[in-house]
Amino acid sequence: MMATEGSLPTSGVKQNSANSAFIAMAAWIVPGLGHLLLRRWARALGFFLASAGLALTGLALRGEVFSSHSNDPFGALGFLADLGSGIFYFVARIFETAGPDISHASGDWGTRFIAASGIVNLLGVIDAFGIARGRRG
Amino acid sequence: MLAASLHLSHFGAMVFFALLVSVAFACAGSRNIQTRIKYALWCFLLFLAIGVGIAWLMYPLSR
Repeated sequence: MMATEGSLPTSGVKQNSANSAFIAMAAWIVPGLGHLLLRRWARALGFFLASAGLALTGLALRGEVFSSHSNDPFGALGFLADLGSGIFYFVARIFETAGPDISHASGDWGTRFIAASGIVNLLGVIDAFGIARGRRG
Repeated sequence: MLAASLHLSHFGAMVFFALLVSVAFACAGSRNIQTRIKYALWCFLLFLAIGVGIAWLMYPLSR
């Protein structure tokens, strides 16, 4: 099928969609990797530093890393937010055996830092996906 | 394994949080490096100003 002027052929659209999905997946698994694959070096570094900094500080503050088995809605939302940080969530689940420190305010801050890391990374995933789709500069 | 914990004051944690989130916002929001730095600084200052402002508004409730 011939493509009309200004549009991609069907196979090109499918390839672009698959490529965008791959970029989004890479950006989720390792913060900044999606931008790195798109050769957006500054954005890749910025998203990696922000997401990694938040996740590692949150873990050092002994914040809560939510699991998928939470019974309350806030725990479920916390799990979704934490999961957004990709590899840092899985590393935290493996190495965090001492549990959250609720005896200090630092532990509470840590929980927020870890969740914010996931949200920031999801922002990076959306940004990388938009660039891969050609919707963003 | 991560039993050694870090302790930050509320203000220190807020400043560090604001700094990292401002960097991410600037990366997502702006295109060139100059506007990105300006945007990050502006976000950072707004985070601090709003955070301290809300703290002052909540101060009477703590007594």
